[in-house]
Amino acid sequence: MESQYKTIHPAKYLRDHFASNIRPDGREFMSFRPVSVCVGSITKADGSALVKIGNTTVVCGIKAELACPKAESPDCGFIVPNVELAPLSSPKFRPGPPSEESQCISKLIEKILINSEAIDLKSLCIHKDKLAWVLYCDIISLDYDGSVIDACTTSLMAALKILTLPTVDYTPETGSIKIDKKNRIHIPLKQLAICTTFAIFDNQLLITDPTEDEEKHSLSTINIVFNEDDMCFVHKSGGIPVSQNLFSTCIIKAKNHGNQVRKLILAAVNCKT
Amino acid sequence: MAEIPLSLAEKTFILHGIDADFRNDGRSRTHYRCMELETKLMDQVHGSARLRIGNTDVLVGVKVEIDTPYPDSPGDGKLEFFVDCSANATPSFEGRGGENLANEISNVLALAYQSPDAMDLTQLSILPHKKCWKLFVDILILECGGNLFDAVAIAVKAALYSTEIPKVKCATLDGGEADIALSDDTYESVKLDTTNFPILVSLYKIGDSCVVDPTSEEEMCSSASIVISVMPNGRISSIVKMGYGSVHPTTLSKTLDMGTKVGIELNNEIISALKREDELGLNREIIGFLR
Amino acid sequence: MPNDSKRINGPDATVPYSIYTNLNSESSELLIKNQLQFRVDKRKHNEFRKMFIRIGVVSQAKGSAYVEMGQTRVICSVFDPREIPNKAQYSTQGELFCEFKFAPFASCKRKGHQQDAEEKEYSLIMQRALEPAVCRHEFPNFQVDIYALVLDNDGSALSTAIMAASLALANASVPMFGIVTAVTVVIYDDLFIIDPTYKEEALCLKTIKKLKPVNHGIIMQAMLSQHDQISEFFLTGSMDINFVNSSIDILSKTSNEIYPVLQEALRKSILKMIKKKNQQEK
Repeated sequence: MESQYKTIHPAKYLRDHFASNIRPDGREFMSFRPVSVCVGSITKADGSALVKIGNTTVVCGIKAELACPKAESPDCGFIVPNVELAPLSSPKFRPGPPSEESQCISKLIEKILINSEAIDLKSLCIHKDKLAWVLYCDIISLDYDGSVIDACTTSLMAALKILTLPTVDYTPETGSIKIDKKNRIHIPLKQLAICTTFAIFDNQLLITDPTEDEEKHSLSTINIVFNEDDMCFVHKSGGIPVSQNLFSTCIIKAKNHGNQVRKLILAAVNCKT
Repeated sequence: MAEIPLSLAEKTFILHGIDADFRNDGRSRTHYRCMELETKLMDQVHGSARLRIGNTDVLVGVKVEIDTPYPDSPGDGKLEFFVDCSANATPSFEGRGGENLANEISNVLALAYQSPDAMDLTQLSILPHKKCWKLFVDILILECGGNLFDAVAIAVKAALYSTEIPKVKCATLDGGEADIALSDDTYESVKLDTTNFPILVSLYKIGDSCVVDPTSEEEMCSSASIVISVMPNGRISSIVKMGYGSVHPTTLSKTLDMGTKVGIELNNEIISALKREDELGLNREIIGFLR
Repeated sequence: MPNDSKRINGPDATVPYSIYTNLNSESSELLIKNQLQFRVDKRKHNEFRKMFIRIGVVSQAKGSAYVEMGQTRVICSVFDPREIPNKAQYSTQGELFCEFKFAPFASCKRKGHQQDAEEKEYSLIMQRALEPAVCRHEFPNFQVDIYALVLDNDGSALSTAIMAASLALANASVPMFGIVTAVTVVIYDDLFIIDPTYKEEALCLKTIKKLKPVNHGIIMQAMLSQHDQISEFFLTGSMDINFVNSSIDILSKTSNEIYPVLQEALRKSILKMIKKKNQQEK
């Protein structure tokens, strides 16, 4: 009975739940789904992490390659984050070139990465003007059930944290490159940026960590990214305006939640190393 | 593949004929149709061949270029197949209709030539890590009358047999850069070692038995087919199943045995035909593909 | 790499670091044979790796499965049938659309985002392996989309993907004649190695030129075990006919061994589902 009601009147189904102060999955408005982080499970990647937020599942794998640095920034390496909303994760997506949504998320993740100053591109340089690391960070959604941006950032950060690179012996005179695969080093990660998503409904109703069904019917969403203590990125999609009060609540919530997820990542990484 | 609407009665007729080992056109199950094969019919490419079998008509051109080898196989040359299903061949190839079939054919060819036993890519190497020959094998399907895989493979083998690669006079390393000089005499050229080049034999399962070289009508009656690439020494370099049906393991074994036998015979015939053509010399009359 | 305006691009020319690691380790024939004779994971030659199966992992899909074969990890999901797009004619048989993809980080060498020739070929093989198993007459003029993604490729990725897809189809309650099992075997100089790892696969394709040709190559066979029918057979390499025939026997035997594993996984997933339903009703 309930599932029919949900299919026929999805918006009303949601509203009725909200009217009795509960969400369809039994959560309260301001509670989060359980988060789980699993790092280093992909053997062929240099760094990898799988993050689950409720049903939402995202995997991030990092492959390191070598390239010549750009002329305008000779002492910087590269980091190339791409988000792929795989067709297997939701019936919304089709194979082929990336949809507008996945392009937006890719761009957003890139901005978060730059703004959080988590990684210093200079630490990726091997020899000035000659050789630098390129980190291809590919983030793939495996199950698309809302708050994907949170999962993407978390998995990217966890993968960067666990990432190890082989040591390179570069002789600039001859241009010869020798690589020691056994001897691997971590890249210093200065920050762990954590994103939290909020959704807003009529009458300034605010919920945290929306599922796909909630996100679809929401009037606006807010993403807040926190480093340890400072906010480094905020994005509010259009839709309805939000009161200043509500926004302050979001910030406090995001900071607290960020601290918890950060602890989780560090615990997962410590377990592995 | 081209769809030919067949009624149930027509299908039964074909099926009974095959059961009795006496097909519509009088052939037995292992008989090929008559083939016409001609090589070196185009001046602007390094090797070419045209094959006509029944109503299927295939034209193959081989172009040779200098390229840099892949970093993971520095001592090898490159070989690439490209199939173009001309819209003239059958109406269903119009637009992008033939694309899937074309991809399939070029994939199967690439697999058949993949093993170093079949095609030794080191013979295409000029300077390891720096320069190698790259063979572009372009296949144009002019008319589609069944059994495309076999026809294409025979034509490719004949075209590669006729391919003449310019002779490299000297190849040296000059301060890390490759320096290559080709022979001035355009007639001075090297031929490929074609002794082990495979051909494809497709066996179509119709009813309880398998046939080779089906016509388009017979193809319509088959739910599954096995494409085997057989080298002249009887070894197999690839097997691919086509079609939507499935087969029993013993049927598969029997089919493979039959395919190998046919493949060895066919290989011999083609080589002897190519030799006979060579004997005609340079001044033979060229018929070409526009008859 | 062609510039892709819809993605974030790195610098123009990048090289994987692995090409600088083993420059002078020219593998000799003896070494290859030795490595294959005694497998790194101490398996017997006819032994397949431990499997881990989870069914119903993607909440948004109609049916899904995640299969691990040793370190090879594949996730696959199946969606509701939809009308075949861009098709004028009515087709009496439903169609399967398969997409096989390696994640960019799944292999030793980084893969591009777009499907390459190998992945397209594997998609077709997957489609042909599954078609005989699905009752396609039950959904005329409709197509079922099947997406398989290899997260980690440690050999036998295609056969693992086919098994994951057949489990996902069953999980999506698509009518089927049976479950498809698929097994990969690599052959090097009369040595059969069931369920090879990535390294073993690579070794068997890299052959050393000898006067006498040696049997080598890869065979992938997909089977409907309970009907004793081969739904797909895919061989590359070079071997003689007797060898192929004997490998068909070995592959069929292994398929029969794997089949109960898949069956048990499906049974468990159904029991779980019933339990959940009963709980909800209470």
